[in-house]
Amino acid sequence: MTEPGGPAAPMSLERLAVLAGAWGGEVARWPDEERAAARAALREEPLAARRLLAEAAKLDRLLAKAPSPAPSAALTARIVMAAPARARPARWRWLAGAAVGAGLAAASAAGLAAGDRLAPLAVRPATAPADPSEDAVALLREPPDLAAEG
Amino acid sequence: MSSGERSADDELVWLAGQGDARAIGALVTGKLPRVLALARRMLGDAGEAEDVAQETFVKAWRQAPLWRPGEAKFDTWLHRVALNLCHDRLRKRRESPAAEPAERIDPGPAPDRDLIARDTGRRVEAALATLPPRQREAIVLCHYQELGNIDAAGVMAISVEALESLLSRARRALRLILADVPRDDWARDD
Repeated sequence: MTEPGGPAAPMSLERLAVLAGAWGGEVARWPDEERAAARAALREEPLAARRLLAEAAKLDRLLAKAPSPAPSAALTARIVMAAPARARPARWRWLAGAAVGAGLAAASAAGLAAGDRLAPLAVRPATAPADPSEDAVALLREPPDLAAEG
Repeated sequence: MSSGERSADDELVWLAGQGDARAIGALVTGKLPRVLALARRMLGDAGEAEDVAQETFVKAWRQAPLWRPGEAKFDTWLHRVALNLCHDRLRKRRESPAAEPAERIDPGPAPDRDLIARDTGRRVEAALATLPPRQREAIVLCHYQELGNIDAAGVMAISVEALESLLSRARRALRLILADVPRDDWARDD
């Protein structure tokens, strides 16, 4: 623990071993309230303390080799499209304006009334991608210019 | 964060609740990989992890317009929701063992060990899957998700001391399960 107005008292090697066994070999990843006393122990008994941390760090390195899954574009798109919708921003209005055919515009209006985020995606220029999810993912890559939305 | 203080996440959640596309994108970009990793490591199944991630965000989008800044960290709240969804799925597996996925690998020197992928990363993943669920939660939240002790204990609804005990037991178990991983893999980073 940190002593008010002074340097932290070193924790015992036994306590250091317990914490390394729980939190691993990197003191920076330990609970805030333990770090100062751990660093003091490292200054006080560097060889023994470093040996304990080095042993714990071996398991840290092994655990770090577990694969980290990356979200697929399809999952990202499904989640974005499930998000709250508001009065459509300029991007959607532009898409609606560029839509070909009154039937598509009618579909958009019905979708807006239902609060369905998918509906505006059906209203797109003839050159727009066929898959609505492509638009949703594009939102992540190229956020609409909010300043231009008024 | 003090009570009533508005964090960057709070701001994004509030804007997302208004349907702000930029905020929605920022939340998905920032949080989805964490939620997916949590679910994947808890469930050991890619498809189920995706389902949990999606359900977590559906709940988050519902919550966004009602979010009250300063009462809880959004990241911690998101972890609690995802973890609860994982609990539901793990409970269902226990209730219908036939549906148990194949990632439950015997940690002992049994023939099943041959099923563990050679790749060290896969072996670590398989070792995590063999841990009792509460130990696995502790390791996943603290080691992989890097939640602080108070946040992780809060998500798990246990004391900090109980969390520390779970972490210690989990790491001891992992050392045993992974004992025959080549020493080189313990000694070097990728």
